[in-house]
Amino acid sequence: MRTPIIARRVISQLLRNPRFLVLSIVAPLVIVYFLKVFFDTLPPTLDVGRYAIPVAAFLVHFLAFLLCAIALVQERTAGTLERMFVNGFRRTEIIGGYMLGYLGLATFQAAVALAEAIWLFKLDYDTKTLAALFVVVWILAIASVMLGIFVSTFARRESQVFPFVPLIILPSVFLSGLLMDADLLPEWAQWLGHAFPLYYANNVIQEVIKPNGSLNNAWGSLAVLVGYGVALLLLASRTLREVE
Amino acid sequence: MDAIEVSGLSKRYGRVEALRGVDLRVPGGAVFGLVGPNGAGKTTLIKALVGALRFTEGKVRVIGKDPLKDRAELRQRIGYMPQVPALYDDLPARANIEFFGSAHRVPDLGKRVEEVLRLTDLTDRARDPLYTFSGGMKRRVSLACALVHRPEILFLDEPTAAVDPQLRSRLWETFRKLAADGATLFISTHLMDEAMLCDRIAILRQGRIITSDAPRQILQRGKTRLLIGKDGKEEERIISGRPEDFAAALRLYGLSADVTAVSVEADSLESVILSLIEEEVA
Repeated sequence: MRTPIIARRVISQLLRNPRFLVLSIVAPLVIVYFLKVFFDTLPPTLDVGRYAIPVAAFLVHFLAFLLCAIALVQERTAGTLERMFVNGFRRTEIIGGYMLGYLGLATFQAAVALAEAIWLFKLDYDTKTLAALFVVVWILAIASVMLGIFVSTFARRESQVFPFVPLIILPSVFLSGLLMDADLLPEWAQWLGHAFPLYYANNVIQEVIKPNGSLNNAWGSLAVLVGYGVALLLLASRTLREVE
Repeated sequence: MDAIEVSGLSKRYGRVEALRGVDLRVPGGAVFGLVGPNGAGKTTLIKALVGALRFTEGKVRVIGKDPLKDRAELRQRIGYMPQVPALYDDLPARANIEFFGSAHRVPDLGKRVEEVLRLTDLTDRARDPLYTFSGGMKRRVSLACALVHRPEILFLDEPTAAVDPQLRSRLWETFRKLAADGATLFISTHLMDEAMLCDRIAILRQGRIITSDAPRQILQRGKTRLLIGKDGKEEERIISGRPEDFAAALRLYGLSADVTAVSVEADSLESVILSLIEEEVA
């Protein structure tokens, strides 16, 4: 397996782009701060905790998806993807390498965005809850990287990735229970909501932050989220074209 | 066995026929030039040969192997330099070469990378990221990536396009050196004058091979203009480019005492190729 070779290359490219790195870490920080400014204008009776963590999770989801999708499409437009194939790298190695490469970035994004949301909104969670929250946001980040890889296998140019962004990201804001309880949606919209990884992540988060809530009641959604990532990994390794 | 054997190769992109029944044989250990104008199908043909493209019809064998079915084996034995640089701009030259080399499990990769850096004259800039490189230097890096695993056949897609004359002649020196070491080089070019540097060429036009031969043989299909000074007058004779016809013309005119001057203007290979391409059009 030459997956580590590709992962090492992806990581060294990331490390050589400090501007990109800083931006992909700072952007969610700034946006979480905007969220705080926004919530400060709302009545104090509002349960901010119900929104803060899911929105932070959403930001991580969005950025991990977008950055990875674009990076892989750039490989196609630059001709390096074709060159990797002609040099004998296999698609599973390329996809695995990308996943490993972006895992570090996604982990860091998840940790930083969560920490800021908890600090800014003065959320008082015990260590067990915090650990559970980190696990779910981290798994969501991995699923998002996989989603980015999967989507990019259909695009030939960067401009073909962008239409997927509103298509995948925006509906999940309204249908995944991020802003209100998904159960209140009409039944068809609830079903549609099940298509987005954010739905399962939000389920877990809401369960965990309940008073006396714990991961024990959310294993189902967490398992689906993990399965979602694995399924995308398998799908992407079928859809990434080795020969034009 | 020839290094490359192609028969009846066709490729359609929707309604566009990029290749229309290409037949080609490339002997091993030689520099083979695929000559043709822009849009003739050179890149499509190279991509079909390296297994980066599914073709519509025909049969292709590279070192006796099918580029699609046997690609796992073949990819260790061929090298490919695409028309675009296809490199990682944010990584240093050495990291790029190491990355593509590591796909092949090259024994003692570090030493081999230093070797190709020397061969392509990049040792001094090996640590610099490629975004600081000129276009010509990136081509050298791209070439280094293509030959780091010591391939038996190297496919080079317009390696000298948009390269200054000095670098172009250095690249050709490298190509000849590689061929002398036993590699087969398959080089596409739209620069007709480069054809003379090849051992054998094929002319591709609108997806078809017009002719395939040694450049010297193709040159003989041109015309030679003889200007013969005799009795204070100048006489013009047009003969073929064949050496036998030239000898016959010399026997006819050159040896008599009243011939005071003979000047010879032979078609260049470039003009012969261009007229062959135009003949096809007519």
